[in-house]
Amino acid sequence: MSSIDASAIVQRDVPVKGSRRFPTPTQIVLWTLVLALCVVPFVLVLVISFGEKIEGASWVFGFTGANYQRFFVGASWPETTTFLYLNRLYYSVFYAVIASVLAVMTAFPFTYFMTRMSRAAQSRWLVFLLATLSLSEVFIVMGWDILLSNRSGLPMVLRETGVTDWLKQTGWFDVLREWGMANPRNVKFKTSVFATVLTMSYLVWPYAVILLYPALSRLDQSTVEAARTMGAGPWTVVRTVVLPTVRLPLIGTLFLLFVFLLGIYVSVTVFAEPAKQTLAVSVYESVRGATLNAPFGAAQAVILLVTGGVCLWLGQVLVSRNRAKP
Amino acid sequence: MRHLVHLFMGLAACVIVLPILVVCASALNGGRSMVFPPQDPTLIRFAEFFVSEPVWRDALINSVIIAFGSATLAVLVAWPLAYGIWKSGSCASKVLAGLGAMPFALPPIVFGVGLGFMWGFAGGLGDIWSGIISHAVLFMALPIVTISIGLQSIDTAHLDAAATMGATEKVALRTIIVPQTLPYTLSGFFFALVLSFNEFIVMFFVSASGYATVTLQIFNSLRNGFTPTMAVAAITFITVSVVVFSLVARFGDLPRLMGADQSNK
Repeated sequence: MSSIDASAIVQRDVPVKGSRRFPTPTQIVLWTLVLALCVVPFVLVLVISFGEKIEGASWVFGFTGANYQRFFVGASWPETTTFLYLNRLYYSVFYAVIASVLAVMTAFPFTYFMTRMSRAAQSRWLVFLLATLSLSEVFIVMGWDILLSNRSGLPMVLRETGVTDWLKQTGWFDVLREWGMANPRNVKFKTSVFATVLTMSYLVWPYAVILLYPALSRLDQSTVEAARTMGAGPWTVVRTVVLPTVRLPLIGTLFLLFVFLLGIYVSVTVFAEPAKQTLAVSVYESVRGATLNAPFGAAQAVILLVTGGVCLWLGQVLVSRNRAKP
Repeated sequence: MRHLVHLFMGLAACVIVLPILVVCASALNGGRSMVFPPQDPTLIRFAEFFVSEPVWRDALINSVIIAFGSATLAVLVAWPLAYGIWKSGSCASKVLAGLGAMPFALPPIVFGVGLGFMWGFAGGLGDIWSGIISHAVLFMALPIVTISIGLQSIDTAHLDAAATMGATEKVALRTIIVPQTLPYTLSGFFFALVLSFNEFIVMFFVSASGYATVTLQIFNSLRNGFTPTMAVAAITFITVSVVVFSLVARFGDLPRLMGADQSNK
């Protein structure tokens, strides 16, 4: 795969004025590589999702919709109907929506202020953000796990500082218990929706900043200054000048983060309670874990992919419609 | 207002740093359990991670091999893809690069499942080489993007001058294009390297328990509870990331790579 040589071949074989009718050997190699490695895995998932599991053995190719039927209405439909896997999908979407909205809402002002800094300061922030961005999900989950654990984390801090007692006196404690965020003695975060969403949001926060950075960095500062000179307050400027200009990147970022979060696995297995786990977890269980039903796992993966694809497409439609309107 | 801004930025930095700090501090624990603040601080966990415990040492070696191998491979394939778009700008070259970047844009768990099936058929499930190829494909999008940015930044006057003076395209490629895009190529390489180092879910499916990288090993150890040795791995990884991105910032133009406006330097 010596591609530097390869690009030299492109050079030699394709003179500037020559019209290309036939693909060069390099192009054939590249197309084969890309199709085999980037496309075939997705095609395989799709094909295998129509396969059948053989009891006590592995599985065979086939053309049955049973896996999809099981996903939507349960295996023994129409006698009984369960929405177990639809429920999983619901939680996938639920966590992803809240976490991505939360991340973008907090990352937006941060990025705006960052782009107003000097170039050197921006560079330092970017190094810091990229380092946290690249940090593996397992490390982040590890960190939050310690921070939120009942023994030595936030719950302990809350108890020691008397916040727990205060919560009990004011009646908020009962509210927290209703939300599943407290046991009889103290506040608890593991396992809770709060912890799951917090970790997921933390996970994509640097991504949100990096994605919003180009648009906010190119924002024409003179329009902001003009608005300020004409007497607009800072909030008015943000609302009437900044937000409308970066509306499209904002929507785009939101959708990209959402699709990324759909497939999150580690945070959910650690922080979400069993009844509120997501499709990504059950994909794993079917393909590699306890239930071992590869075709059904593939079908769930396809549905996850379609959900993501539909959302990206919706985002695209939204963006292009917005762009058409002045 | 100014104070509020500083307060907000500081708060954001604190929240970002907090879990990382806690993980790092836990590495100093003397006992076997992970407590914060650390009890009976010691540095023995570092020795365990790098030297005395073969499980972690092997995992680290695997991680390094896969990261360097896949980043190299990704750059080698990304170069002609990015060059194709820049040179011809044809629809086909754009589609090709788009397909090359696709695995990065979709939920990684789906790609991981697909790769697991593919290596199962092709043989290679649970081998290191298939892991290297898998990560190369997953992170190819990054060098494609950075190299494209680099190619766009080439001053066309240089190319015209070279052509006027009789340089063939091959010579121009060697003397102008490759040297001028080198910082961007390296940035792409390092992005892929660091992300491969930290990637979990695709490797989870592709390795099929045949071998473990550091992230896999940490996840496997989750069941037995966290141990301070895992935190050493975290410290190592954070250090590597910060060093690598600092180098990129030092030798390349990080704000530009991230898409900043060029005019307000």
